[in-house]
Amino acid sequence: MDMILLTIVVLASLLIIASGFWVGVALIRWLSLPRRSGAPVKARRAGGQVQDNPGG
Amino acid sequence: MGAVIVYVIVLAFIALRARIAREYEEFSVAKRMLPLALVFGGITATYVGPGFSIGFVDNGFRTGFLFSIVGLAYAIQNISVGLLVAPKLRALQGCYTLGDAIGQKYDRRCQILAGIISVGLCTLFSAVMINAGGKVVLQGMLGLPAWVSVSFLTVVAASYTTFGGLRASVTTDVFHFVLHALFLPPVLLYLLLFHFEGGAKAFFQQAAGATATGFQLTSPLEVVSLVTAFLLGETLIPPYANLTLASKTSRVSRGSFILAGLFSALWFLVMISLGIVARTLVPPDTAKDHVLMDLVKATIPNVGYALLLVTLVSIVLSSLNALLNAGATVLTQDLIRQFTHLPDRVALRTGRGCTILVAGIAAGAAMFVPSVIEGLMFCYSIWAPAILPALVLGLWLPRPRPWAGTLSMTVGTLVAVAFKFPFFSRTGIPPILPALACSLLAYAAGHWAQGIYERAKAWT
Repeated sequence: MDMILLTIVVLASLLIIASGFWVGVALIRWLSLPRRSGAPVKARRAGGQVQDNPGG
Repeated sequence: MGAVIVYVIVLAFIALRARIAREYEEFSVAKRMLPLALVFGGITATYVGPGFSIGFVDNGFRTGFLFSIVGLAYAIQNISVGLLVAPKLRALQGCYTLGDAIGQKYDRRCQILAGIISVGLCTLFSAVMINAGGKVVLQGMLGLPAWVSVSFLTVVAASYTTFGGLRASVTTDVFHFVLHALFLPPVLLYLLLFHFEGGAKAFFQQAAGATATGFQLTSPLEVVSLVTAFLLGETLIPPYANLTLASKTSRVSRGSFILAGLFSALWFLVMISLGIVARTLVPPDTAKDHVLMDLVKATIPNVGYALLLVTLVSIVLSSLNALLNAGATVLTQDLIRQFTHLPDRVALRTGRGCTILVAGIAAGAAMFVPSVIEGLMFCYSIWAPAILPALVLGLWLPRPRPWAGTLSMTVGTLVAVAFKFPFFSRTGIPPILPALACSLLAYAAGHWAQGIYERAKAWT
């Protein structure tokens, strides 16, 4: 019982830290998007893929 | 003080990256383009205020897991909103505020009434947050005069919210969420590893002892009152409603609330555990709301204390900027725009002016807020009876009737306020319960009366 409680508390802490990283990465991606999102973003991404992988 | 200055510079950089809002739709609902992670981070950063951090550590220290159990009501509330209300709200076309949704479902009069209640509560909530950040955190930790702390917080939050609108508010909120998530849980892990003696067995004994004391000290009526406040008090208050409307899709709004509900259960568990760990590390007579600060001061060197100060300021700011933006949008959309036609650019300028107005009034009122918890409980007791029945029934009934909405909002507000006066408050009944019951009854009466009126009109 003692170990179960402590394990739950530690897992909860780790999950919060993981969600912090997930949201942080999403924030960085969001801030690096151009202002007019939508079609131009998709076009830019598509362009990037073509450049990165010309053979594909 | 240096840590706070560095933090403000980083915050300003992030707010600038979010860019100035150039259209009213960008200012009020971030062009309805927010993805899941940002809506989730925004909701979470808004609800993790001083009460859910400093307050919960204090509660864990004194009453063990009692508040973690009571807090489950908050998780249930968020998950229910995600499943039942948020997708329906997001699916409405052309809504900028909760008032807009009520206006679409009932009539213009109901929208104005919802607007008045929402602006009043956003201002009150903001005053409570400024009080908590200015008087409890900055004055308590840095020893600054109250007016300097209050002015500092208000100016910082109002400046980027005024220019960047919801986009800046959400961006900085998410930054704050990352700060909370990456600082407070590691503090718990660090304390468990290096300072807490006795391992799992000692932790269990401390938790069991404190929780038993908590249940002995809290009457069943108090438990019911707390559960009701957690279940209904903050349901879809304007900042959450605005985030729902700003979500990219209905699915995003649903998922964000469900995740935010699950996260709240984890967060409460960690904050309460910090309080339980503190029982062996800080004196039992530690002043109320000072357990977290004293714990960090006693166990982590100076850098930890500076980081804690920054985290606590960010906790306050993340709730405050969302409330200021929501208050300004509601004031513009539900009140000013109902009486005069505003082109987009004028509406944007009006929204900015309203942000400054709401911030100024809230800063003035913050000097008179008696305590953080009392202030929050007052806001909670009004919000749920005033708005929730009209909103939820309006979204679910096929033909909601305006008389029902008007009566429910008016009666709910009046009964909640009346229960603050000594004649009713002596009964010890939490205001939210009778006010909610009266609001529901008034809704039924209004619905029935308008039905009769409409049928009579059709016959003549």
